Amino acid sequence: MRVTLRALVWTFGLIVAVVLVSSCGIGGLSPIFPTPVSPNGQDIYNLYEIISVPAIIIFIAVEASLLWVVVKYRRSRQPAGYVPPQIHGNTRLEIVWTIAPLIVVLAIAAYSFDILQKNFQPISPSNYTIVVSGHQFGWNYTYPENFTIHQEGTLAGDVTPFVVPTHRLIRLQFQGTDVIHSWWVPAISGKTDAVPGYDNFSWLNISTEGTYRGECAELCGVGHSTMQIIVQAVSEATFNGWVQEQLAAQQKANATPSPSPSPSPSPSPSASPSVKPSASPS
Amino acid sequence: MAATGVLPRPKAYDDTFWKPITLWLTTTDHKLIGIMYMVTGILSFVIGGIFALVIRLQLATPNAKVVDPETYNQLISAHGVTMIFFFVTIFLTGIANYMVPIMIGARDMAFPRVNLLGFWLVPVSIILYYSGFFTGGALDAGWTGYAPLTEKAYQSHSLGVDFWALSIIVWAISGIMASTNFLTTIVALRAPGMKLTRLPLFVWAQISTSILLLVVGAPLAAAMILVEFDRQLGTQFFTTQGRPVLYQHLFWFFGHPEVYIMILPGFGMISEIIPVFARKPIFGYMSMVAALFGIVFLSMTVWAHHMFTVGMNTYVEGFFMLMTMLIAVPTGIKFFNWIATAWWGSIEFTVPMKFVFGFLATFLIGGITGVYLASVPVDTQLHQSYYVVAHLHYVLFGGSVFTIFAGIYYWFPKITGRMLNRTLGEWNFWTLFVGFNGTFLIMHTLGLEGMPRRIATYTNEAWATTNLIITVSSFLIAFSVLLFLINVIRSWNGGEIAGDDPWLANTLEWATTSPPPPYNFERVPPVRSFMPLRDLRESGELEAETPSAPAPVHV
Repeated sequence: MRVTLRALVWTFGLIVAVVLVSSCGIGGLSPIFPTPVSPNGQDIYNLYEIISVPAIIIFIAVEASLLWVVVKYRRSRQPAGYVPPQIHGNTRLEIVWTIAPLIVVLAIAAYSFDILQKNFQPISPSNYTIVVSGHQFGWNYTYPENFTIHQEGTLAGDVTPFVVPTHRLIRLQFQGTDVIHSWWVPAISGKTDAVPGYDNFSWLNISTEGTYRGECAELCGVGHSTMQIIVQAVSEATFNGWVQEQLAAQQKANATPSPSPSPSPSPSPSASPSVKPSASPS
Repeated sequence: MAATGVLPRPKAYDDTFWKPITLWLTTTDHKLIGIMYMVTGILSFVIGGIFALVIRLQLATPNAKVVDPETYNQLISAHGVTMIFFFVTIFLTGIANYMVPIMIGARDMAFPRVNLLGFWLVPVSIILYYSGFFTGGALDAGWTGYAPLTEKAYQSHSLGVDFWALSIIVWAISGIMASTNFLTTIVALRAPGMKLTRLPLFVWAQISTSILLLVVGAPLAAAMILVEFDRQLGTQFFTTQGRPVLYQHLFWFFGHPEVYIMILPGFGMISEIIPVFARKPIFGYMSMVAALFGIVFLSMTVWAHHMFTVGMNTYVEGFFMLMTMLIAVPTGIKFFNWIATAWWGSIEFTVPMKFVFGFLATFLIGGITGVYLASVPVDTQLHQSYYVVAHLHYVLFGGSVFTIFAGIYYWFPKITGRMLNRTLGEWNFWTLFVGFNGTFLIMHTLGLEGMPRRIATYTNEAWATTNLIITVSSFLIAFSVLLFLINVIRSWNGGEIAGDDPWLANTLEWATTSPPPPYNFERVPPVRSFMPLRDLRESGELEAETPSAPAPVHV
């Protein structure tokens, strides 16, 4: 009996230690997403922190009461012949632990919905839209200046970077051409699916220059793990220079006849972003 | 002859070599069918576990080449399908098949032959699924089998997807049969005095599970039939030209309630086991039942929370987020009632009770991470990452599997007449508890750092150490399951004799012999509350019963 009690305390101690170590962010054990560089990612980050407050309180309170029960009410700790009180319930108490969690989850839901309305509406005021098209196994990025970057997946993950300027609100228009893919760069924001048949929208507005890595997050076939993403955020001036380079390269390619660069079979350039073709059960 | 009811049969008929074989193949006894369900479930658990170990070996190091990506995709699909469809659901159907009729004082299920057919469809379903491996490769699109990846255009090299779809259709029919049977049995065959308000909570849990499976089994079969139409008849329901997201709606309308189909019977077991070992009645019986039905209702209104990144209207997403979070309320009621039941108790920490507390400690984590995942903005980060893998294992392994172990250690004496070895049981629990948390607790961080699920390998060195720790811990789980199997095999014939009621329990199954005779009860005991056996024990009526060994009777 005593041995198992000690083992129990040790186990809980170990779990707490792991949580503590991980909260210090040592060696690939981060308790939260990478520091976001785009405001929509920052909002998700903040929301995650806010949900963590009641979550940690509830976690500690319930685990502590479980531990209390385990230690305090075990038969070996009770006086000989102890007969537990035969309680069948307590309506007032039961109402309390129905209402209290209800308030907590309603508050979390309301706050989440607020963020959702603010950051996940496709109508962001941006006149700079890049079309991101997913295929097995890579991404095509078509810029408003009419050139396309092909980011074909490789095993090593050294894919062609998707170059964007910092401090510019960029709208991303996602298209699927074969199966469903999902574009995810954790340091920027959450993921958006590229679904064949309709367009999805997201946006980014990167504040810091740098290279951000991501991956396709929806199983899309044998090459799924090769379908990696590199986003390279550069200054406005560098970006404009880079765009000119791409345009010049394209002109040169067009001068000599070559096969068309980007097949874009997606048939729906829908203007209204919230179009939802999937049937909703009535 | 009238006293025992033995039908005179030729002796030679019973003693042939074929007797045991024909007995198991043709039996309509709910107990034997229940045992076959449970054995099938455990075998699936072992097979699914072996798949998991290969997956973990592949992920232990970056750029590993233990299996190629195509095999890897088949392994993760087979792991999911095996564990969800062929282990947890099947095992729980088995334990309910065995226990529900006895707990309500019935002699068998309402439709014994439907029960027989329903069980034998399960091996058919399992064989169909694994047949895929011999046609050039089984399902390789994850256990969810999202279209259009399962369509002919992208998966034409084998019949794996077709066999999967057929297998799931057969499985759904089997599940609908079992659910109908459970509901009819519980409504129609209760013993005198067993009012609905006196049903054991495990039986209530089985009612809610059966309602869920009855409602969502058919849409699942429908989705699979449409997938087959697309593949073999050239329709365009879910193809690239069709509406792939419709498949997700149909699948998750089954898929999310399935989560509760896999945990509600476990909730029922917890509600049975805590009162027995704390020597206190369950706290808030009525609110426990109400919470069950709250979960049943809510679980059918949350399916699209698996689809927050497909691009739905934000108000639709808000609705599914709200309903998902509301599930925390009935689940919380159950959780607090369990703690209140144990509070002030005189708790004996037998092996089943250890698994119960292991369940409470780990399932809580799964519940809390569920709230993060329900929040739409946060979910767009966590969705399809290792955070989800960790979360789902906390509710399915820390939840369902721990309750299954609790149930096995609790009811094994009733089923076999022998106790499971306690020392091996303690080892089983502690290695499982440490191995489980070691595997899945740090897995959350991989998801937060951006490791998507279902990738065959990774190049990021920062994930290497975490993945290695996870792989090592997963082998501790395998060791623990090995201890469990040794314990079961050793104790089945060689364990300590249990007697009718080794735990001093509350419910009717412990009022009969261990194992119960084919007809369950010689005389059904009177039922005066939801703890009929305890009433008998306290009023002294139990002592008055003659403990004569019952004669074998065929009814």
